[in-house]
Amino acid sequence: MTCLPVAIAIAVARLTGKGIHMIRLKTCQHAGIMLFGLAAPATARAAGAGLPQLDISTWPSQLFWLVVLFAAGYIIMAKLVTPRIGAVLEERRAKLDDDLGKARAASEDAAQTRAEYEADLDAARSAAAETAKTAAAEAAKKAEASDAKIAKKLADKVAKAEAKLATARSDALANLNDVAAEAAMVAVAQLADIKTTAAQAGKTADKLAAQMARQETN
Amino acid sequence: MSGSQGMHSPVAQFEIKPLIELSFGGYDLSFTNSSLFMALAVGISAVFLISAMRRAELVPGRMQGLAEMMYEFVAEMVRSNVGHEGRPYFPFIFTLFVFLLFGNMLGLIPYSYTFTSQIVVTFAMAAFVFVGVTLIALFKHGLHFFSFFVPAGAPKVLIPFLIVIEVISYFVRPVSLSVRLFANMLAGHTMLKVFAGLAVMISGAGGLAMAGSVLPFLALIGLTGLEVLVAALQAYVFTILTCMYLNDALHLH
Repeated sequence: MTCLPVAIAIAVARLTGKGIHMIRLKTCQHAGIMLFGLAAPATARAAGAGLPQLDISTWPSQLFWLVVLFAAGYIIMAKLVTPRIGAVLEERRAKLDDDLGKARAASEDAAQTRAEYEADLDAARSAAAETAKTAAAEAAKKAEASDAKIAKKLADKVAKAEAKLATARSDALANLNDVAAEAAMVAVAQLADIKTTAAQAGKTADKLAAQMARQETN
Repeated sequence: MSGSQGMHSPVAQFEIKPLIELSFGGYDLSFTNSSLFMALAVGISAVFLISAMRRAELVPGRMQGLAEMMYEFVAEMVRSNVGHEGRPYFPFIFTLFVFLLFGNMLGLIPYSYTFTSQIVVTFAMAAFVFVGVTLIALFKHGLHFFSFFVPAGAPKVLIPFLIVIEVISYFVRPVSLSVRLFANMLAGHTMLKVFAGLAVMISGAGGLAMAGSVLPFLALIGLTGLEVLVAALQAYVFTILTCMYLNDALHLH
């Protein structure tokens, strides 16, 4: 691996037919040494050839600017940056907690509302059933009452009609007696040549009729 | 070196070049290319984080989301590694992470400068963390702090040796912390430069040979991707180790 850059350089030089500048090759070798001598940067070669890090004359300036700039960075981070980001994160956490709390409360409210709604619905359902039952009972009662009234009316009518019929019948029967008496009187006059008055005939007919009625009832 | 040939040494990219000459009390405090990118890292991160949150909304947009993501990332790191007592140090840890992340990322832009590739910078930061964390521990626990170097439940005979080991490992912390970041940046950027230089060199050969430059160029693309990962990862590693040291200081194991 160390020789790889050198090997490539040589191969390239052979292919192109151009000579390799030794100074370039040296650079390459130097690089290889640097690459694999890193664990000991204070090797004689590195120190001698001037690893710039080991040039002590640059240290005061580096330390000075490190102190100044790191301190400036610290002040900026401590006074401006971290409080700001911390506040924003805290605000977000508070907001999230708040929102979660609100959501939980809303969810509980919704559950309670639902329970209330279901209770209401149950109550309404049973009330409706009750109402329907009473309505049905009332309707049945009313229907019964009107039935009774109609029945009574009809019975009255029937009774009246029967009474009328009875009078008509007795009237008819009474007339029948007169007709019978007249017929009997005419028949007696023509057959026996007995002249009877209408009054006599009527009396006899009535007597007969009473006799018949008596027999009928017996 | 080879500058006259149009080829730079792979480490030439780490050279410090003064942009504004400055000196104070005999010290050279020039504003350099390194300082410029340090200032850019602070400036760009500050402008980004402030402007992203300027019109902060309840439901964040892309920029705000990114800024909040960075904040939450570091906050979670502090929370899980240090706990509630780490809160006062959060701004420092956040600054540290942002500073290193932007520094490492800016350094990957061609012709920019990677100030985290300077051992003096990484060591100064690591030393600051080390001293700070030790002071916090001493201030909080007083002399009890030294019990930190005595592992609990160890056999009495071994305790002197263990104390030596613990003390050494404690004082090596700033070294390992700084060298890890420095070495990663140095290695990565050197490697990028080597492959880039190789591609340029081969293409300079002309003719058919130019096609050969495709190989190192492809390697360069892959390495750049890797370096983006390393840049983010090393910023994270430095920050999380700082959190762990802080946790040790606050809770002593």
